[in-house]
Amino acid sequence: MKTYIKSILLSLLTPFVSTLDAQTLNWANLQEENRHIIHAQFGMEYGAVFGIGYGYQMNTGLFPMVASMEYSFPSGKNLLDDLKSKIGVQIRLVQYRHFRFSAKLQGVFRRHETGLVRLLNFGSDFSGILGIYRPKWFFAGEFGFDKAIVSHFKHSKAYRDQHPQVVDGWYEPATGGNFYYGVQTGFSIKNQDIFLKGGKMFAQDFKTKPLLPFYGQLGVNLKF
Amino acid sequence: MKNTSSLLALAFLALVSFSCSKERFLNDPGNLVPKTVDQDPGLPSILVNGVLLHSEAFGHPDSTMIVCIHGGPGGDYRYLLNCKDLANYGYRVVFYDQRGSGLSQRLPKASYTSLGLAALDAVFNELGGVIAHYRTNPNQKVILLGHSWGGILATGYAGKNPGAIQGLIVGEPGGLKWAEISEYIKKSNAFNLWSESLNDATYTDQFVTGREDRHEILDYKLALLAGTNEITGENNTEPGSAWRSGAVIRDAFLEIGENYKPDFSEGIGQFKTPVLFFFSEKNKAYPDSWAHKISGAYPLADLHKVAGVGHSGIFQDKKTWQEKTLPKLLTYLNSL
Repeated sequence: MKTYIKSILLSLLTPFVSTLDAQTLNWANLQEENRHIIHAQFGMEYGAVFGIGYGYQMNTGLFPMVASMEYSFPSGKNLLDDLKSKIGVQIRLVQYRHFRFSAKLQGVFRRHETGLVRLLNFGSDFSGILGIYRPKWFFAGEFGFDKAIVSHFKHSKAYRDQHPQVVDGWYEPATGGNFYYGVQTGFSIKNQDIFLKGGKMFAQDFKTKPLLPFYGQLGVNLKF
Repeated sequence: MKNTSSLLALAFLALVSFSCSKERFLNDPGNLVPKTVDQDPGLPSILVNGVLLHSEAFGHPDSTMIVCIHGGPGGDYRYLLNCKDLANYGYRVVFYDQRGSGLSQRLPKASYTSLGLAALDAVFNELGGVIAHYRTNPNQKVILLGHSWGGILATGYAGKNPGAIQGLIVGEPGGLKWAEISEYIKKSNAFNLWSESLNDATYTDQFVTGREDRHEILDYKLALLAGTNEITGENNTEPGSAWRSGAVIRDAFLEIGENYKPDFSEGIGQFKTPVLFFFSEKNKAYPDSWAHKISGAYPLADLHKVAGVGHSGIFQDKKTWQEKTLPKLLTYLNSL
């Protein structure tokens, strides 16, 4: 029941709020007239991944805010069996001289299929980013948590041969979660940002790590 | 924009709300991985050195005993079951899942790591205990048949007890000295960055994470990870490949190996009986040169390359077993 409540809260928060492979912004270069931001990226995040996204700068009058939606997929023979999509918001909460602190909150949907199982998951990704932002460059540190809130398991005939009594269906409470921390940097030319980010990941038990315990991303934003 | 956002939120809410029925835990026994012998009394088991092991034996109890030792650490004997055929040729064929592996009882990681190198003695003693359990008379001959990690374990046992074993059959032991084992592991897992195998192995980490000693979750993740391997030519999605992986013992033994660098070839120079050494054609991490290097530790080794299969196929692939492995095995057994 707790999971329902968390999921509902997440759902309600989703429209106001943006993860690991989220759009990386130079707040000091984001002009009010830059309503639309499209981005493309490539990197390592639980595999070699490619992603695209769209962001819309909202006029809240309170905080600069960018709502975004993203789609990414890992490389491999089957390009359609695994994916991740995110929808959320990135808000610049604090500004002091050239320092900015922003928060991202995203709802996540992901799919993964192997010869043994198909996994679907709804999750969330929260992070905070603190850094120095100048019109032509930025450098920031980030810390976040990527949680798999509820997951659906559907096993293949091959897995059922190993374990005929395997129970398919939705699993809750949360089936997983990983913390991540790292740095991001980039430079801006006119209406483009080129950014690079990277860091490490560890599981929510603070002991174990994912098989690829790091992430890295190279991307570009086009603002208009 | 506001309306669109609200609609998206509602859609997300609806999806999550209607898709859930009741709490279902990843770590409940039987949900994602089969129950072990201590959780399901209906499974065949034996008690060895205080640990309940999944085990079966076939053939006349007084016949020459062939003990089949599975790979891993953390595999199980299901893929070796073709060896049951040896019972039809007058042998007593014994199978067991090592502690913390397959359907045998699970133990905490600290129960291995706290022992250091002595954790390996525990698995040697376990093998001795299995032999003792099934042995019906002191003169009964014992032959070890070990595949991969099982071959390493069998070699270590024969080195420690050269007079107690009357024959040794190994299938692609990755190495015998830790440096060799470590090198083999790296070669056999050197996935291409862009491959499906890599993302099949790594993408799961964002869906499922498990704390230390959460056996059900960790074993399940290892089962998914061990699905297919394009380098070694393994395909554990084929029927009869496995029951259940043992992630904790695997992690623990890899950690012990890294810390203490054991040498499983110690004493094998004293084992003067010829060793039948199988390796496969399709395991790219096990070329002829590697097979010659590893088999060099045995005083007398008869190398046999099995065509058309990868690492596990030597014993698992029915056709290969019947047409290639079994005839070679019978020739060897008759020569002892």
